[in-house]
Amino acid sequence: MFYIRFLGAELRRRPGRTALTALGLAVGVGLVVVVSALSAGLDEAQSEALEPLTGVGTDVRVSRPLSQPKETGAGPPDFGSLPEKEQRLLRKENPEGLFHFEPSELGEPGERFTELQTLSSELSFPESTVARISRLDGAQDAAAALSLQTLRIEGEVAAPGTVVNPHTSYDITSLNVTGVNVEKPSLAPVTPGQVTKGEYFARTPEKARDEAIIDIGYARQNGIAVGDRTNVAGKRFDVVGLSAAPVGGTASNVYLELDRLQRLSDREGRANVMLVRADSTASVDPLSREIGDQLPGAVVTTASDLANRVGGSLVDAKNLSSKLGTALAIVALGAAFLIATLLALSSVQKRTRELGTLKALGWRKRLVVRQVTAESVLQGLLGGIAGAALGIAAAAVIGALELELDASVAQAQSGGIGAAFGQGRVAAASTEVVLGAPVDIGLLVVAVALAVLGGLLAGAAGGLRAARLRPAEALRSLE
Amino acid sequence: MSKGDETARAEVAESAAPSYELGAVTCIYGEGRTLVTALASLDLTIGSGEFVAVLGPSGSGKTTLLQLLGALDRPATGTVRFEGRPLEHLGEAELAALRLSALGFVFQQFNLIPTLTAAENVEAALAPLRMNGVDRRQLAGDHLKAVGLEPRARHLLTQLSGGEQQRVAIARALARAPRVVLADEPTGNLDTKSGEMVIDLLGSLHRELEITLVLVTHDQWVAERADRVLRLDDGRLTGDSVADRAGMTAR
Repeated sequence: MFYIRFLGAELRRRPGRTALTALGLAVGVGLVVVVSALSAGLDEAQSEALEPLTGVGTDVRVSRPLSQPKETGAGPPDFGSLPEKEQRLLRKENPEGLFHFEPSELGEPGERFTELQTLSSELSFPESTVARISRLDGAQDAAAALSLQTLRIEGEVAAPGTVVNPHTSYDITSLNVTGVNVEKPSLAPVTPGQVTKGEYFARTPEKARDEAIIDIGYARQNGIAVGDRTNVAGKRFDVVGLSAAPVGGTASNVYLELDRLQRLSDREGRANVMLVRADSTASVDPLSREIGDQLPGAVVTTASDLANRVGGSLVDAKNLSSKLGTALAIVALGAAFLIATLLALSSVQKRTRELGTLKALGWRKRLVVRQVTAESVLQGLLGGIAGAALGIAAAAVIGALELELDASVAQAQSGGIGAAFGQGRVAAASTEVVLGAPVDIGLLVVAVALAVLGGLLAGAAGGLRAARLRPAEALRSLE
Repeated sequence: MSKGDETARAEVAESAAPSYELGAVTCIYGEGRTLVTALASLDLTIGSGEFVAVLGPSGSGKTTLLQLLGALDRPATGTVRFEGRPLEHLGEAELAALRLSALGFVFQQFNLIPTLTAAENVEAALAPLRMNGVDRRQLAGDHLKAVGLEPRARHLLTQLSGGEQQRVAIARALARAPRVVLADEPTGNLDTKSGEMVIDLLGSLHRELEITLVLVTHDQWVAERADRVLRLDDGRLTGDSVADRAGMTAR
């Protein structure tokens, strides 16, 4: 085909112009690829950061935190400042006396004591509530969990009348423990996906009875490894796995089987966290409202609420990529289109005589325009392929850099009963995710198509000018 | 009667008509103060198979005349008939078809396409015709052979001398077996020796192929090779003489 050979000859034997046009489009398209890949990478990083927080299949997390006392300050909080109703509920919930810690009752002065308490900062509800919620419209499934704090206080009974600073006088160990419904691992505060070492719980409560999963950070601090035994509330458990720290929600040091923890803490049949899966994304919001109505005082958190609360460099990078990155890509692409168009126009200008000659030879207008446009489109294609390669390379570089971004979730609730003795809660969790820049085939196809579009636009501009050339004037023009 | 005979008769009838008849042709360029009258009320007939040289100084309207004859431009007023057909009634596509089937051009600057080889330049003239690639390359090769450039077929223009480039242009002009070849100062960019070779080539092709050849020049020696010499001055025909090979005789 002569036209194709002509096309090839034009591109091959005018390498400067071909390279310049293709390069212009390549840079524009390459930027689009990188920015899109980066934004996809940030999305992935975000969902990776959010996943352990909500569990793979969890859409809604329900708990009933206590109302906050108005003021919090240093020293033991004034529990009396809690509303009377809350105090009553808590007393009912913790019959052994949650607030009651009086060393003098534990022995004679000078005697050593060990006191073990399990505390909850959230009001519990019967497990039957979970079953009821799971039957609501829009709910696919629900699972219960129990999140507690165990406090182990050791020390010596002080002489009456001595002022005791609990921080220095007693040895206090605090542990956050969560009971997990092992039959619904995807709707659990710790999911199999979070287990980074070892294994997840056995899938029946009986077999999982003595198993524990330990938060990897806590395990590192305390030198615990898979296969070790650990002590929780005076009982020994086999460490079967270590789990990555969740970003938000209630972080826990140790995860146990739910029934076992309920019995250990005298909370049989009770739960204080409920994880619910909606049957579709659309039903998440109505479902959360319904749960709120059914369970007065409940705090209902959806995955998107959590996403909105995620902060840290991950979010900064995401904002940057969505604002600056997109703008940059658009500007680069626009500039590339403009460069390609100007080059196509200047090429037609320079080839006025040549194109006029073709017309004199009997080439119809359509044929000349087609030839000019095809050249440009082919340059666009070359630019697109080069740009895709450029984008893949840049994305690979970003991947190889293994940039770490951190994500943290601002806690909706803070303080709580665990603040007793200044132990505080597990800090608002933060996680680090490695930034990747995944490039998918669809994106590359779009990128090449964009470059071809640029070539087509440039070709159309050049072709239009070529079409307007009158052969007589074209031949008159001197090179 | 066979179809071939019919075509042959039609061609005879066509060639019987003069190649060109120009009636009161005026060409004006520019506007306002820069208005230039390139041709002023020109009447001219060019017979089929004639070798006509158009002589005149720069700006005399020679090139304008050639472009009218080449159906590349239209007059402001007046008529141009090609083989009896008035060109003003033809649309752009029809003019392109006419150029493709009947006209060949040779330019002062050769106007070859620099990115193509010699053979491909000849093929460029054949491209719009519906023919297969093998035939097209064959035909292009034959025409390069006719101008003595067969060994140079695969060379790029930068590897050819000016005279060789102009011979490629002639091969291109003749590739489609035109009835008229229009040459705009074909020796203007050549040294005397190459120029002579080009004029000899054009002259012999004109005789062999019985084509009408219109050649614009300002070289007297080139004009002397023609059957008929037209003199243009300021867009007006100031001379029209027929050569009798022994010298110039006024008509």
